[in-house]
Amino acid sequence: MAKDAATDTVRRGGAEGFRRSVRDWIRANAPAPGGPYEQWERRLLAARLICPAWPREYGGSALGPLDALTLAEECARAGAPLVQRGVGEHLIGPAVMEHGTPAQRSALLPGIVSGEDRYCLGFSEPDHGSDLASAATAGEVRGGEVVVTGLKAWVAEPHRANMIAVLCRTSPASPAHRGLSLVLVPLTPANGVRVCRIRELTGSYGLGEVRLDGARVPLSHAIGGVDGGWAPAMTALAHGRAHEAASAHLGFEERFWELVREARKSGRAREPEVRAQLAWAYTRITLLRATGLRIAARTAAGADTSGEAAVAALFRSEFGRRFGEIAVGVSGAAELVRPEGDGYGLSEWQEAFLTGRGATIGAGTGEVRRNAVAERVLGLPKEAGGGGR
Amino acid sequence: MSYPFSDDQEELRRTVRRFLTEKSPEPEVRRLMESAEGFDPAVWRQMAGQLDLQGLVIPERYGGAGHSYAELVVVLEEMGRALLCAPYFSTVALAANLLLATDDETAKRDLLPAIAAGRSIATVALTEHSGRWDADGVAMEAAEADGGWSLSGEKFYVPDGHVADLVLVVARTPAGVSLFAVRQGASGFAATPVPTMDQTRKLARLRFDRTPARLVGADGQGWPAVSETLDLAAIALAAEQAGGAQRVLDMAVEYAKLRVQFGRPIGSFQAIKHKCADMLVEVESARSAAYYAGWAAAERSDEVPALASLAKSYCSEAYFHAAAENIQIHGGIGYTWEHPAHLYFKRAKSSELMFGDGAYHRELLARRIGI
Repeated sequence: MAKDAATDTVRRGGAEGFRRSVRDWIRANAPAPGGPYEQWERRLLAARLICPAWPREYGGSALGPLDALTLAEECARAGAPLVQRGVGEHLIGPAVMEHGTPAQRSALLPGIVSGEDRYCLGFSEPDHGSDLASAATAGEVRGGEVVVTGLKAWVAEPHRANMIAVLCRTSPASPAHRGLSLVLVPLTPANGVRVCRIRELTGSYGLGEVRLDGARVPLSHAIGGVDGGWAPAMTALAHGRAHEAASAHLGFEERFWELVREARKSGRAREPEVRAQLAWAYTRITLLRATGLRIAARTAAGADTSGEAAVAALFRSEFGRRFGEIAVGVSGAAELVRPEGDGYGLSEWQEAFLTGRGATIGAGTGEVRRNAVAERVLGLPKEAGGGGR
Repeated sequence: MSYPFSDDQEELRRTVRRFLTEKSPEPEVRRLMESAEGFDPAVWRQMAGQLDLQGLVIPERYGGAGHSYAELVVVLEEMGRALLCAPYFSTVALAANLLLATDDETAKRDLLPAIAAGRSIATVALTEHSGRWDADGVAMEAAEADGGWSLSGEKFYVPDGHVADLVLVVARTPAGVSLFAVRQGASGFAATPVPTMDQTRKLARLRFDRTPARLVGADGQGWPAVSETLDLAAIALAAEQAGGAQRVLDMAVEYAKLRVQFGRPIGSFQAIKHKCADMLVEVESARSAAYYAGWAAAERSDEVPALASLAKSYCSEAYFHAAAENIQIHGGIGYTWEHPAHLYFKRAKSSELMFGDGAYHRELLARRIGI
């Protein structure tokens, strides 16, 4: 026991030491609130902290999951979050790392770190939102290329991307997920790829449809090989969920305390129902962190945490929706009015409230997430009639 | 410290689970819950003799094993899962914690070794008619006479008060809230078991009539120790709740896979799947809450009071919801006395009400984080 306690102290000292050094580095390098963020991105890049958990040979710092979480926490708390330019850092990169050939890893990963390649995710289709295995976008193998034709829907931030990760059907005869390929397609009009931005109920144009009309991509950009796209696609989503699970609290902590400050100022923090709602929200934010730590620790120990991450993602999405509702409720009449200006600008709480409706739809609706968790984590039988996968 | 648990702590979990599978199967739970004492003295002795459980978090200088609170969280999670009928929570999470929270070195040396060895069953008598868990709820008065103290009055909802040989009583003196130790058999002391909705957790009414009592800690300085104990007890209870919640989820899922209606397992219906998925989300979060709070307690963090209230409110509601859904998923059989679902359902509600429910602790949490 005494020996264990000593080891623990050393380990704890190590973790706290890392947090201190991270704080020092942030203090010396982070921009003041509001920017300039370009310089912050360059400094993160120079310090190999864009994808801090990646191996050093691909531009990372090989941080373990707990240290990576500490870094993300400290950056977020300093108002200078880690940089993310799409789904490359946390979805596509990990899929390439796990399922790519050595040549693919060397060819594709450095571009993600440098920001030269900014990925969006072309998985969903108009008729197949959450049911990815039914993807119908065609991928025709012609010589050394795949020629992709189809329409991808609900793509997040396609206008910021220069690459799109597309799930396409290369073997129409094979059922469901067995005939799918994951190809990384240059997103340019010259390559037959066009983006049509969609206005969300928030008024902004974050989403889009991406039409691929004979877009060409070399076979070397098919991750997992032809017809082998399902596994890397699932890896990408699982890593996305794991990242989301570990860092879910970060987006909420600062906003929560801001809401508390407002409630104090308005006097509403004295109302029992408001106090209860704030404590309720604080509880969930703390549990997001506690669960994120559990998952990061288990990942560090080499365990498969995909089940826990899926459960945590469900928790987070439901809370995200509720947080926005609580925020506008606590703020009260002020939320009747939008900020002055052109377009449909929103206050912070209006934004949280309205984007909350997307929290339980995007990346799998709440219903599909529940089915998946029930079947894959709890092992409940699939629904009769082919509803499952 | 490894989070949430080290290999040694996981090994402790396996050992305790094996022990409880053998010693606290459902027939045994049912036998003990119908008995007046509510526990098996032989098992109690084995818990101490074979596994050192009563002395788990008691420092070695008082005869304990000197483990951290994280170990206790593991043990209580398993006890909640097995619905163990024993005065463990009262003895360890209440009485031992309260003694440790005082600065009364003599009392610790006198009283803790017997607890650690499993020779003493102890509890804390705090609550009165009002059913309150705060300092203002303490009305019972202690009188000083001939250099000693005596207690008169009544305490309610005292866990295992009818089998405890040592009762730590929270009472008022002119100087304020103070702590007193009373021995079973002291003059004017009577402990009566009361019938409980949750038969697996025994409660007693205690009467004191000029009962001689020993002052523990300084006169008038008792409340900080009680408050600390309530926080640690809330974390302990949250761990029990997380264990019970996991168990009822397991029961529900197992049944949903086997039970066939309309030609298919009911677990293939989305209505059932979604219930189970929601239970899983809450059970996992409940475990996170208990582990995180237990970790903070092991580290003696300043966040313990806030995290104790957080864990108690979350785990109370998660366990109750899971236990209620378990009955619903079982349908008719879940509504019978014969099925164990109601044992967990009742334990869930009693655990929720003990030491303050979710709403009570949310308000405490709001205060503790400065809202």
